[in-house]
Amino acid sequence: MTDNSATLRAEGLTKRFGAVLAVDQATIHVNPGEVVGLLGPNGAGKTTMLRMIAGILTPDSGRVTITGLDMAERPLEAKRAIGFHSGDTQLYRRLNAREALIYFGRLYGMTEERLRARVDELVEMLEMGAFCDRPCDTYSAGQKQRANIARAFLHDPDLLILDEPTTALDVISGQFIVEAIRAEKAAGRAVLFSTHIMGEAEYLCDRIALLHQGRIVDQGRLDELLERSGCRNLTDTFLQLAGRGVAA
Amino acid sequence: MPEFDGHIPATGGTGGGGVRLRILHVIFRKELVESLRDRRTLFMMVGLPILLYPLLIFGMSRLQESQQEAQQQRESVVAVWGGAPDSLSGRLGGAPRLKVEAWAGAPANVRRSFEAGSVEAPVFEAPRREADDKNPKPKPLPGAAWAKAAQQLILDRKVDAVLILWPDFAGEVAGGGVGRATILYDSVRPDSTTARGRVSDELRLWRIELTEERARERGLPAGFQQGVEYATQNVAPEKRQSGMFLGMMLPYMVILLSVLSGFYASIDLTAGEKERGTMQTLLCAPVEALEIVGGKFLAVWAITLLGTTVNLVSLSLVFSRVKLIPGMEMQMSVTTILLAFLLLLPISMMVTALFLAVGAFARDFKDGQNYLTPIMMGLVFPLVATMQPGIELNAHLAFVPVVNIALLIKSVFLGEWAADMVFLVMTSSLCYAAMALVFAAQVFERNNVLLGGKETLGGVLDFSRTPGARPTPGVSLLLFSVVLVIAFYGSLSLSKMSLPAMLLIVQYGFFLAPALALVYAKGYDWRETLALRRLPWRGLLGAVLIGLSAWAVASGILIRLLPPPESLVKALEKILMLDDRTVPIWQVWLLMAVTPALCEETLFRGLIMSGLRRLGMWPALLISGLLFGLAHASIYRLLPTFFLGVVLGYAVWKTGSLWAGVIGHALNNGLMALLSRSRETVEQLGLSGQKYLPWEYVAIAAVVLAAGLWLVRSPANQRSSTTAEIVPGA
Repeated sequence: MTDNSATLRAEGLTKRFGAVLAVDQATIHVNPGEVVGLLGPNGAGKTTMLRMIAGILTPDSGRVTITGLDMAERPLEAKRAIGFHSGDTQLYRRLNAREALIYFGRLYGMTEERLRARVDELVEMLEMGAFCDRPCDTYSAGQKQRANIARAFLHDPDLLILDEPTTALDVISGQFIVEAIRAEKAAGRAVLFSTHIMGEAEYLCDRIALLHQGRIVDQGRLDELLERSGCRNLTDTFLQLAGRGVAA
Repeated sequence: MPEFDGHIPATGGTGGGGVRLRILHVIFRKELVESLRDRRTLFMMVGLPILLYPLLIFGMSRLQESQQEAQQQRESVVAVWGGAPDSLSGRLGGAPRLKVEAWAGAPANVRRSFEAGSVEAPVFEAPRREADDKNPKPKPLPGAAWAKAAQQLILDRKVDAVLILWPDFAGEVAGGGVGRATILYDSVRPDSTTARGRVSDELRLWRIELTEERARERGLPAGFQQGVEYATQNVAPEKRQSGMFLGMMLPYMVILLSVLSGFYASIDLTAGEKERGTMQTLLCAPVEALEIVGGKFLAVWAITLLGTTVNLVSLSLVFSRVKLIPGMEMQMSVTTILLAFLLLLPISMMVTALFLAVGAFARDFKDGQNYLTPIMMGLVFPLVATMQPGIELNAHLAFVPVVNIALLIKSVFLGEWAADMVFLVMTSSLCYAAMALVFAAQVFERNNVLLGGKETLGGVLDFSRTPGARPTPGVSLLLFSVVLVIAFYGSLSLSKMSLPAMLLIVQYGFFLAPALALVYAKGYDWRETLALRRLPWRGLLGAVLIGLSAWAVASGILIRLLPPPESLVKALEKILMLDDRTVPIWQVWLLMAVTPALCEETLFRGLIMSGLRRLGMWPALLISGLLFGLAHASIYRLLPTFFLGVVLGYAVWKTGSLWAGVIGHALNNGLMALLSRSRETVEQLGLSGQKYLPWEYVAIAAVVLAAGLWLVRSPANQRSSTTAEIVPGA
């Protein structure tokens, strides 16, 4: 299932907030050109797990390496290989998208020349020309999402981490994100994304990890999951594994 | 930017928690641009000071003027109860803006009892002191019918005052006696106090006329009754008079409005970012927590300082155009404004850091306003206290945050500031600012807080013990600040003790004990942190040479640059002699040389310098030297003690042994104690009567010092691997 060339190796991640065990001994690997979906209901621990992988939260135990770089030992280099995007993230209201992209490009250590070229490229690719010079607080939900995706893709990261990227989007904007993920996969990038929309996972993912109450209860290809559970679809599989079994 | 140690930084840390200036600049610039595009911040920073001062100053003086004018224009209605002599009736009747109504509002029974002479006058006490006349002590109103009737009349605003001429007033006056009168008025109603003043003035003038007439009739010389004449003359220079006015209200307004400039920006860059989810985006970028807090801090501080500048400029423009005291222009010199700006630096630094730290705990913008408002209130109370006319800056108040700066600004406007007081206030304020900064840095190291999770204050400050850990620059800065504040107030409270007892308590109790307690509490490695290693012979020799020569170089050169006032020299000599010439020299050495050498070296060259190690040799030496100099609490001692601190720090750094510092420090102090004490030694050296150390001595000392420094830097001293590790490039 995995090999040493995996872009992401997260092993035995555990995080506790006070009395609450948010993530318990979670292990997940993502290879280049692979899309892995992290599925779970609200409160399953998806966001906490993705934040630990992205280096935003320190795990109580466990280890994360990104392209072989240990997040605990070399956090800045490891973070440089990640593009992180969360569905509920907004933008700097009083900057325009171009300024925000340039700001992040500088934080990621991109040279000015490469940065300008890359911003132009993304503006064209994501069709942001009409609004990228307006302040971000004038954007529609779909425009915001494009600008956010541009920020996550900006520095050509090896690993994309997307936390419920299609939340609160209409069908067209949601589809835009889904297609963007497919394009990144085709370009050889590793993608880890969380969702609670089963259809999205079925359509996009090479492998799926099911998270319930902080534990990964099963993971594998869609057909493997269905076979192991004996269910007809992912929703039933998930409900069964989550302990609310329904008749197959 | 400091980092507080004791936990694994949530960002993972780069092992050094360093700050890249380029990233700091990128974050600073973006935060500044974004904040300056916020209308609320712009208004607080520019709009409010530009609008408020003219409105407040002109508006208030106009309001006061127009109210006064209206009052002066308005006619006072005064009821006169009792029989008045013709001359008095004529005078009261002819007085401008005074309308006298005989028996107005007097109930029939009251009038009857007055006319029958059956009313008893209350015990009569004419005001003897000016203060009593201006602000009479409240006396209980008698329960008699006349009193109640007069009170009701005034409270109902039917008249402004009631003048009561007690029975037989006219008879007493005509017979050469004393006529007694009482003016009843309402001190809360301006119209009533004006009426009181007018009636009182007329009575006074009438009394003068009366006494002059009596004197004339009896052929007495003019002034016979008056006996003495005196006048008062105000000697306060105009600058001081305007300073008094400015000093009372200006610190309050300028401090408050300055920190208010950063209010919205602080919330927007912390709670606002959390609310919008952009904080998370920033945290997953390859930047250190310290770079984030550093960039944000600098941006908000810059905004606060811009606001401070606008405030000071607006204020001085307004004041140059307004006459607050008749006949006097208010002037604010450039020096005054610059000094005020300088004094506002540490306080704005402290408040900005606090705003950011506390704002980071808030969930959203509204929550942030709720969190930061108590800080603003916390500023207002001490500031209001400083507005009282009687409060002046003293040693006790010099270390009280906010109050000290406000009072110092007040004395700056009075033109009464002393360099040493500015130094003390700045040092203490910088200490508080450092504490706030370390706290802010600590909060931003906690990603859980920044992501909206819950965290207790104890969890953020993290007092946990991590065996084998090493102190950080943040620990050094925090320890120094806390120790200095404790030592300052500690020595003030010990001032009644004998000098030796005080010295021992300060050194062992306030310097050594906190350092050792912290090393123990945090579980630091004793040997590594305090450089407890054997001193090789070359290092020993070097330390001895440094100890014997450093004072001469310092006093020969640095004291010439900033000569201390005679009073300080005398005070220091007194301390060096322990107040008493009869104490044996070995006791003086034990107290003045060995004790400070042990305690101060453990604190400064031990723990503090150890925390600064990761910054590299020269920053560590210069910062620890500066802190050592600041701890001596006098601007005149700053340079020599800073120099000594750096030299001793160099010896400890190069030898890897604290003993190099202890020996050097002990010899330095011992030699100074000997010279202060022994006239013979001074004479033998040919130094008696010299103001400064002669240049030839300085030159010899410099050579000896150089030899000492050369000896300590010898590679033979760098024995252990740890020493090599702490000497970059060695």
